[in-house]
Amino acid sequence: MAEIILDKVSKSFGSVRVINEVSLTIQSGEFVVFLGPSGSGKSTLLRMIAGLETIDDGRLLIGGKESQTLPPGQRNVAMVFQNYALYPHMTVRDNMAFGLRNIKMAAPEVERRVQDAARMLEMDALLDRRPSELSGGQRQRVAIGRAIVKEPAAFLFDEPLSNLDAALRVRTRVELAELHQRMNSTMIYVTHDQTEAMTMSDRIVILNDCRIEQIGTPMEVYTRPASRFVAGFIGSPSMNFLKGSYKDGAMTLLDGSRIAARVAVPEADTYELGIRPEAVKVCEGEGDTKGQVKVVEHLGERTLVHVHLSDGSAIVAQDGGRSQVQPGDEVALRFDISELHLFDSSGKAWHAE
Amino acid sequence: MTASSARQINLVGGIITLLTLIIAVLWAFPIYWGIVSSLKPENEVVRPYIELWPETLTFEHYIFALTETQIGRWYINSIATAVGATILTISTSMLVGYALSQLRFPLRRPLYWLILASFMVPTQTLIINHFVLVANMGLLNTWAGIILPQLINPVVIIVYKQFFDQVPRDFREAAVMDNAGEFRILFKVYMPMNWGVTTALAIVTFIWSWNSFLWPFLAVTKTEMMTITVGITQVSDAFGVYYASQLAAAVLAGLPVALAYLLFQRRVTQAITLSAGIKG
Ligand SMILES: Nc1ncnc2c1ncn2[C@@H]1O[C@H](COP(=O)(O)OP(=O)(O)OP(=O)(O)O)[C@@H](O)[C@H]1O
Ligand SMILES: [Mg+2]
Repeated sequence: MAEIILDKVSKSFGSVRVINEVSLTIQSGEFVVFLGPSGSGKSTLLRMIAGLETIDDGRLLIGGKESQTLPPGQRNVAMVFQNYALYPHMTVRDNMAFGLRNIKMAAPEVERRVQDAARMLEMDALLDRRPSELSGGQRQRVAIGRAIVKEPAAFLFDEPLSNLDAALRVRTRVELAELHQRMNSTMIYVTHDQTEAMTMSDRIVILNDCRIEQIGTPMEVYTRPASRFVAGFIGSPSMNFLKGSYKDGAMTLLDGSRIAARVAVPEADTYELGIRPEAVKVCEGEGDTKGQVKVVEHLGERTLVHVHLSDGSAIVAQDGGRSQVQPGDEVALRFDISELHLFDSSGKAWHAE
Repeated sequence: MTASSARQINLVGGIITLLTLIIAVLWAFPIYWGIVSSLKPENEVVRPYIELWPETLTFEHYIFALTETQIGRWYINSIATAVGATILTISTSMLVGYALSQLRFPLRRPLYWLILASFMVPTQTLIINHFVLVANMGLLNTWAGIILPQLINPVVIIVYKQFFDQVPRDFREAAVMDNAGEFRILFKVYMPMNWGVTTALAIVTFIWSWNSFLWPFLAVTKTEMMTITVGITQVSDAFGVYYASQLAAAVLAGLPVALAYLLFQRRVTQAITLSAGIKG
């Protein structure tokens, strides 16, 4: 258990900068997820903490100790690899014990830790098997067990669930969250799956284009995205974006409709209005705007209605589960203006008060 | 599939089978001829026409080779030098291959090219140098003298390098996170992951060494230090040209390799394909 501090760390591959002056403090015992699109540098940042990639610039403190130049084995962190990387010729027991034997830990202590980890992960019966004799889910446990026995200051996971099928992924997700609560240890978890990020993390670090876009709790990044990128990236179906101009407390959209917006933007200008589908409702009578229904998706408890406004811009609205709306219908839409966001041309966000 | 195309494939298959058969016979015949001749009396061997089976079957040449020559010593010399060359070649090549594949150090690539290039140089062109060197070292007529020049074997290094190159990077990283040093990564993770490569390479190296003739022939002048391939020449030198006895000695020389081949058939084939990719 330890605090991890990244202080302006940078990394380049050749002349290409992939991590640019990233600063981040991870509390002891916190579960932090690195989330971002492919190629955003999530793995690289994690591997820099692990020591598998060098840190070109900046400082890394693990449990208060300067670690940016320490070799991976001495950083007191354990990593779970995406493909598990279990040594194929060793039994589960030897796989877990390998790291401990390498530091010449006494055999009884090694055995005790292996047994404890096996019990915690409910895989006592598998200890004498080889990885090839295990299912994908069991291999995953062994990989986690191999990390647990080291009793590390922090666990690092790089997309550990991506090789599991959907059902097992959900189950393992819950188990990992439980494990985190039980062990109360610092965990850093890389994923590009926002469900994983939203459900498991204490805080999400959203990476894009070599840098951190936002750090916040799952609800913060969902309700108060710091940038247009985060707003579009988090949430499924994703947020609606409509171009328009802001003046005197209202947005005028391209189709001419005026939406009252209590947003403290510094000046009148063109902005993009962002609003999630659940804040746009199909309504009776006059709404804030109207358009023609193109596609109707029934999801059971709710219905997603894809609408084209008169200027051609597309918007996804939500209706009740028993919605009678048909493609081709003209519908009126009402915006919940307390959930409005405005984004300027640089992507900076303002939220409705 | 239509009947005619099926017939066509059968025809092609038939031709291929026939060709293989002819080639197999061409390959096997000399061996058969050698064995049959070694079972004939000397006067029958030199008859000017082909007799596929001895008129009088005799084992006298085998008895001669086993009792009247130093074949026991030669076997021991062959085994000692072939085993020695194999162990040393494998253990050094493994380390070199690992270093070239996994470690990052200055001049790594030029070094690899140098090794690749050395492989274009036929051993025969170096043999005088080897002789002078080994003679200066005072190692003529010793096992060490026979073994040393055989250790230059770039193929084994290249096969090892390629094998290590193919191991997914995750394993190395997992081992590094597990606090394993380079030697532990090599001996505890990489090597045990696939002993097949090592067994295969050891078998071919052993066979190459066992069959080597030119170098041991030069490096050894004393009869009791000869390897078996060199020893065969002694059978004629000492007693005139006795074809049958010589062939009997040759059959005895080939026997261990043939046995080894039968025992490890699959591994040997694997090894040959493995090195053929490089050796061409
Ligand atoms: N060894 C390397 N050499 C050169 N470029 C690299 C190397 N590793 C990663 N990169 C580059 O760094 C950037 C970030 O890569 P990284 O693997 O961290 O992305 P990621 O966020 O983990 O993506 P994914 O979700 O696809 O795993 C990418 O543009 C990638 O091409
Ligand atoms: Mg990645």
